[in-house]
Amino acid sequence: MSTSGMFADLPVEVGLAYEGERIRKPQMHVELGGPNVKEKFELLRVKSPEEVEDGKITIIGPDVQDLEEGSSVPFGIYIEVSGDKLEVEMEGVMERRIHDFCNYIEGFMHLNQRDSIWLRLDKKAVKKGLNFDVTGKALQRLFKSEMSIIEKMQITFLTEPVEVKKKFQEALDIYEARDARARGMTDNDVDVFYGCTLCQSFAPSHICVISAQRYANCGAISWFDGRAAAKVDPKGPVFEIPKEKCLDEWKGEYEGINKIVSEKSLGEIDRIQLYTAFDYPHTSCGCFEITTFYVPECDGLGVVHRDFKGQTPSGLTFGGLADSTGGGRQVNGFHGISFEYMRSPKFLQVDGGWNRIVWLPTEVKEKMKDYIPKELYDKIATEDDATDIVSLKEFLKEKGHPVVEKWVEKPPDAIEAQTLEAMPVGTISGVGIPSGGITIILKNAKIHAEKVIIKRAK
Amino acid sequence: MGKVIAVSGKGGVGKTILASLLIRKLVKSGKKSILAIDADPDSNLPDALGVSVERSLGDIREELISKQSEFPPDYSKTAWLEAKVLEIMAEMPSFDVIVMGKPEGPGCYCAVNHMLRSIIDSLPRSYDYIIIDTEAGLEHLSRRTTRGVDDMIVVTDLSVHGFKTAERIKNLSKELGIEFKHLYLVGNRVNPSHEKMISEKIKSTGLEFAGLIPEEKEITEYNLVGKSLLDLPESSLAVKAVDDIAKKIKLI
Repeated sequence: MSTSGMFADLPVEVGLAYEGERIRKPQMHVELGGPNVKEKFELLRVKSPEEVEDGKITIIGPDVQDLEEGSSVPFGIYIEVSGDKLEVEMEGVMERRIHDFCNYIEGFMHLNQRDSIWLRLDKKAVKKGLNFDVTGKALQRLFKSEMSIIEKMQITFLTEPVEVKKKFQEALDIYEARDARARGMTDNDVDVFYGCTLCQSFAPSHICVISAQRYANCGAISWFDGRAAAKVDPKGPVFEIPKEKCLDEWKGEYEGINKIVSEKSLGEIDRIQLYTAFDYPHTSCGCFEITTFYVPECDGLGVVHRDFKGQTPSGLTFGGLADSTGGGRQVNGFHGISFEYMRSPKFLQVDGGWNRIVWLPTEVKEKMKDYIPKELYDKIATEDDATDIVSLKEFLKEKGHPVVEKWVEKPPDAIEAQTLEAMPVGTISGVGIPSGGITIILKNAKIHAEKVIIKRAK
Repeated sequence: MGKVIAVSGKGGVGKTILASLLIRKLVKSGKKSILAIDADPDSNLPDALGVSVERSLGDIREELISKQSEFPPDYSKTAWLEAKVLEIMAEMPSFDVIVMGKPEGPGCYCAVNHMLRSIIDSLPRSYDYIIIDTEAGLEHLSRRTTRGVDDMIVVTDLSVHGFKTAERIKNLSKELGIEFKHLYLVGNRVNPSHEKMISEKIKSTGLEFAGLIPEEKEITEYNLVGKSLLDLPESSLAVKAVDDIAKKIKLI
C-alpha cells in the first residue's frame, strides 16, 4: 500500500512499514488503556446517515499533548459510520480494523481489542504533531479507502474519565449483544468453512474442518479465528473451505469439505460428516480437548476430557482412548472434539446429541451445565456414579436414561454360535476397531469364514 | 531488524553470565533498545540482570488454553496473546526482559504456538539488540527456537563434555540447515595457566574463537546474594573479558 500521497498533509507518516512497531516504556509519551487502566474500549457502530457527520472528529477530555507524560489513562475510541450497504452484522469486522489502521500510524502502537485495548504513543511522534485529530484523519482515510461501502464516518476520542466510564458501559452491552448474535450463527448462515492443518506434523492425514457450529478439536480456533487467519495468510495452515453442494444437511456433509479433506489427507480420508461420531466422523488429530468413546453395552457414548486422570467405565483412561482414535483416523464412536462443540446445537445431533451421552467426568458436567438439557442432567453418570460397565448400566436404568428404551428387554447372556454356509460376512473398508490398547485397521478387506462365532466378552 | 545473539552450551557452563555481561556492555555503551530473552527453564537471567519477572510465556500459553472456550466468538486470540507478551515483559530503562518459561504440558499447543511464533518472530523488528540465553543442550536447534539468530556463541568450561556439546551444536546446525552468520566459542572459568592449552583446543573444534572468561569470585558472590551482574565494577576481570568478546564479535 502506498499511502504517502494520501497522508502528505499529516505531520507523521502512515503506512504498512509501521505495523508491528513496539513502543518501549521509556519511549512512550502516554499509554491509553492497557493493563493498568480498568476502563478502556473501542467501539464501531453502524448508524443512519442523518446521525453521522462525515469527517467529524470530537475529542472529549484532554488531547494527546496535554496528557501527563508517562501516564496510563482511561480511554475510548467511538466510531460511527453510515452507508447504504452497511449492516449491523459488519460492526465487529470493521471494528477489528481499528487495530490494523492505528498501527499504520508512525509512533502509534495498538494492541488487543474491545475493552482490552492497549495503546502507546511515541514521544518523538507526539513532538512531530501526532494527536487525536491526526489519528482521526488517518483512520477516516484508511477506512474509506479500504471499504468503499463506508459513506460517512465520524470519530470520537474520549480521555475524560467520567465520559469514558459512561460509554464503556454502553460498549460492554453492545459486545454482549454482538456475541449473542455470533453464538447464534449457524452453518447454514455461512458460505465458507475453514480448514486447519496445523496438527499434520504428527497426524498427517488429519485436517480440522471448522464450521460456525463445530469448533476445531483443540478448542483454539473458532470459525471467526479461521476467518481472521485465512485473511492474513490465505495459503497458510488455516484456509477457506468453500461449502459447495450440501450432500446431507442433517449429517453435515458437504462436497467442498470432502474434496479438501481428500486432497489434504492425500486420499486417506474422502468423506466427513460433521455432526456424528459414526460412519464418517470428523477425524481426530492428537490434541483434541475431549474424546467420546462408544459403550456398546449401553449403546451410548461416554465423554472424557484430557485433564481427567482416572479410568472411564470402558476401563481406559483418556490417554488410552486418545491413542485409539488419534492420528487422523475415522474410528466409529471414538471421536476427538472440543468443549465448544459440546455447547453447539449440532453436537453429535445425528447420534442423538446429549440423549446419547451416558457418562462424563463431573468437571465436564459442571462446565456444560447450561448446555445439557435439564431433564437429562441427572441421568448422565459421572465417575461418582459409575466406574465400570455394570454400575453404569445400573445407574442408567435406575435414572431412566433415554438409551435404556433401546435396550433389548433381556439381552441373551451369549449369542448362540451359528453355523452358516461359507460366504463373505462383511466388506470392511477402512474401519478401525478399537479394542483396548490396540486398534486393528482393515482396509478394503473381504473376510470369508466357515464359521462366525460372536461371544460376549467375559 | 536488530542483531540477534544466542548464547548456548551444556548446562552449568556459564551461559547466563556471558549473556548478562554482554547486556551489561550494551547498556554501559548507552544502547537503549535491547531485548533479553531467557529461554533456559533451568537458569535465571532476570535475577542476573536484577529484574523480577513474574510471568512467563509458558504461563500465558497455559492461560490461553485454559480460557480459550470462554473467549467471545469473534475475539482475536492472536491479538490477545500479542498484548500478553508485552504485559509479561519487564520494561527497564534500557532493556526489556521476557522469560520463555516451562515447557509444554500435555494439551494441544499447535495453534497457540503457531500464533506465538509469529509474535516472537516479529520482536527483532522492534529492538536493536536481542540477546537469548538458550536452554542447555541442543533442543533449541531442533525445535527451531533459535532460527533467525545471527550469531551463536557456544560457551564451554574446561570439560571434554563442554567441548563435545560445542561440536554437536556446530554439526547439528549444519545438518538442520541453520545458518548462523558466525558460530563462536567462548571458554569460561579459565585460569591464566590453562589459557594456552584451551585456546588450542578451541581451535580444533572449528568454531570461531571469541575469548576466554576467567573464573571470578565476585560473580559467585553476586549470584549468592542475588545482586545484578550489571552492577559489577569495570575492574572485574570477567567484565573486562566479556567487553573484549563484545568487541571481537562486533556487537558494538
